[in-house]
Amino acid sequence: MPLVLIARGLDPVLRLWQRCTGTGGMITFFLLPNMAIFGVFVIIPLVLNIIYSMTGGVDILLKDRSFIGLGQYGRLLECQDYLVSTTCREDQFWTAVRNTGTFVLFQVSLMVCVSMITALILNRKIAGRGFFRAVFFFPVLLSPVVVGLIWRWILQRQGLMNLIVTQLGFDPVVWLNDRFFAFSAAIGVSTWAHMGFYTLILLAGLQAIPKDLYEAAEMDATPASRVFWRITLPLLGPNLAVVLVLALIRGVQIFDEAYVLTGGGPGTSTLFITQYIYEVGFASFLRNPGLAAAASILMGLVLVVLTLIQLGLSRRAEKGNAR
Amino acid sequence: MGRIVLKNIRKAFDAVEVIHGVDLEIKEGELVVFVGPSGCGKSTLLRLIAGLDTPTSGSIEIDGRDVTKAGAADRGLAMVFQSYALYPHMTVRQNLSFGLENQRMPKAEIAARVDEAARMLEIDELLGRRPTQLSGGQRQRVAIGRAIVRNPTAFLLDEPLSNLDAELRGTMRAELSALHARLSTTMIYVTHDQVEAMTLADRIVVLRKGVIEQVDTPLNLYNKPQNLFVAGFIGAPNMNFFKVEVKSGKAELPGGAQIAVVHEGPVTLGLRPQHLRLAQPEERAIAAEVFLIESLGAETVLHANVEGAGQIITVLDGQLDIARGAPIRLAFDDANLHAFDAAGQRIG
Repeated sequence: MPLVLIARGLDPVLRLWQRCTGTGGMITFFLLPNMAIFGVFVIIPLVLNIIYSMTGGVDILLKDRSFIGLGQYGRLLECQDYLVSTTCREDQFWTAVRNTGTFVLFQVSLMVCVSMITALILNRKIAGRGFFRAVFFFPVLLSPVVVGLIWRWILQRQGLMNLIVTQLGFDPVVWLNDRFFAFSAAIGVSTWAHMGFYTLILLAGLQAIPKDLYEAAEMDATPASRVFWRITLPLLGPNLAVVLVLALIRGVQIFDEAYVLTGGGPGTSTLFITQYIYEVGFASFLRNPGLAAAASILMGLVLVVLTLIQLGLSRRAEKGNAR
Repeated sequence: MGRIVLKNIRKAFDAVEVIHGVDLEIKEGELVVFVGPSGCGKSTLLRLIAGLDTPTSGSIEIDGRDVTKAGAADRGLAMVFQSYALYPHMTVRQNLSFGLENQRMPKAEIAARVDEAARMLEIDELLGRRPTQLSGGQRQRVAIGRAIVRNPTAFLLDEPLSNLDAELRGTMRAELSALHARLSTTMIYVTHDQVEAMTLADRIVVLRKGVIEQVDTPLNLYNKPQNLFVAGFIGAPNMNFFKVEVKSGKAELPGGAQIAVVHEGPVTLGLRPQHLRLAQPEERAIAAEVFLIESLGAETVLHANVEGAGQIITVLDGQLDIARGAPIRLAFDDANLHAFDAAGQRIG
């Protein structure tokens, strides 16, 4: 009933708007609410972020901050040797960059391989296929904080993992206090949490490959390995490229589950760029919103490049499918 | 080489049996066409021969060797798929050579075979292109080329022309016939198009619901169909049928025309539309009333109602000046009558 009343109330306004602006105006009218939300939560913060990145000081309000041009960028990028983070003025930023780069390299490779293998298995006629598809996809539905907490409980000193280890007769390991294990855990947990999504994309790609191509290959006496390398993989190329770029973007943005799992430690061994931005901007004692804004703009630029690549690949895939 | 024997082949998908004990012998070098309505099992039978599916029971022999349990790759057969099944990311040359590379054939021999097949099929200008850059007819040639280069024991063709337009289908049909004459290799061809079956086949296998209804040459199928199904399926337009009662060797057709039948009891009589003609005044005939006229230029197809016996179709030569609703009388020769008993089997 209230909806009917609202509709009746809006009707004369809409009619007047359409009379004044035509069909094009109506399109704008219906898009306006979403555009307003997009503007308030994306465009304005983006512009503010760019402005903040050109200001200095510890104050939050813009009117209290001084304009310093590209000073924050200069501070972030000032390094004697980019390969040695301790020679950089903002060594933690470069540690975070190095950690994020290493994380992306291993996590994305692992993600693509595991998703690919899972998709190939789930594409076969195996018993309980529907159940396994659900099992692999379920972690995607979990909140990253929940994922981080679950795995922290599993990996903590008195956690499930150590229970298994001690049952097997070994000494317990403080997994998250070890640099190597903590970093590996961040990679493993992140892969577990998101692989269902990428598996789904690859599974859709596998199912789109016509069955008769495989039958033609069978008639051609093609060995299974050659079928994979010469038929499946090339035809899955567009999907694989999309998965690769999406995983790269997600990898660069890694924060929530890793932060809950390790808190960036031990030391700075799992400090990633997003956590660095968060801590410099909001969490540290001497917070520096301008520096955090500059770091986030630099990270944003990397993401823009990756997104453009992803868009290009998606369009290429669409063209390929249209043929 | 290329003799294929099927012995009591059955195929079931879960609890549903779709092929019910097929026995068939295909001679070396023969072009056999499997024809039948949708769901009759013709493609399933072809896939069983190809090795893409396994029969539930029965055996398949190729040149005396039992291949029932052998994989598709071990049967020495080549298949042309309805969708062509060309690898879209490979060039025509790569598509043609892919199967030969699997056999680890020397590169020079692969190139020679591909070039020869390309010349034969007149696709040598297309070797650098991808399937997406080819027309339907060109793709069809490439698919056939891919089968030819393997020099198989037999070719299996699953409705290869069904994706082409009518004109191209006619051209490709003639080319396939010429190709078979040149290669003299056994070919099994699946189609639902009886024109393709009649024009291409040495012998036609008519299938219905997973059972072979008749195996014979195209003209024998047309002239002496063994049962009502084959009589109705082969020939276009469909054969006209009349149910009559034979008493003392005589039956009365609608309109009173008397004919002799060597049988007693209920009989179905069949007359092909092409075997009816406009009757002379004194001639014995079937009386009907025209309700549809299809003028095709060289011939005219008349659809007419016969009182008490349903509809009748006739194909008459030339162009006729007949109006809708006009009464006509259709004569026929007794020699062109087909008679079937109550079980639908041919009499005589």
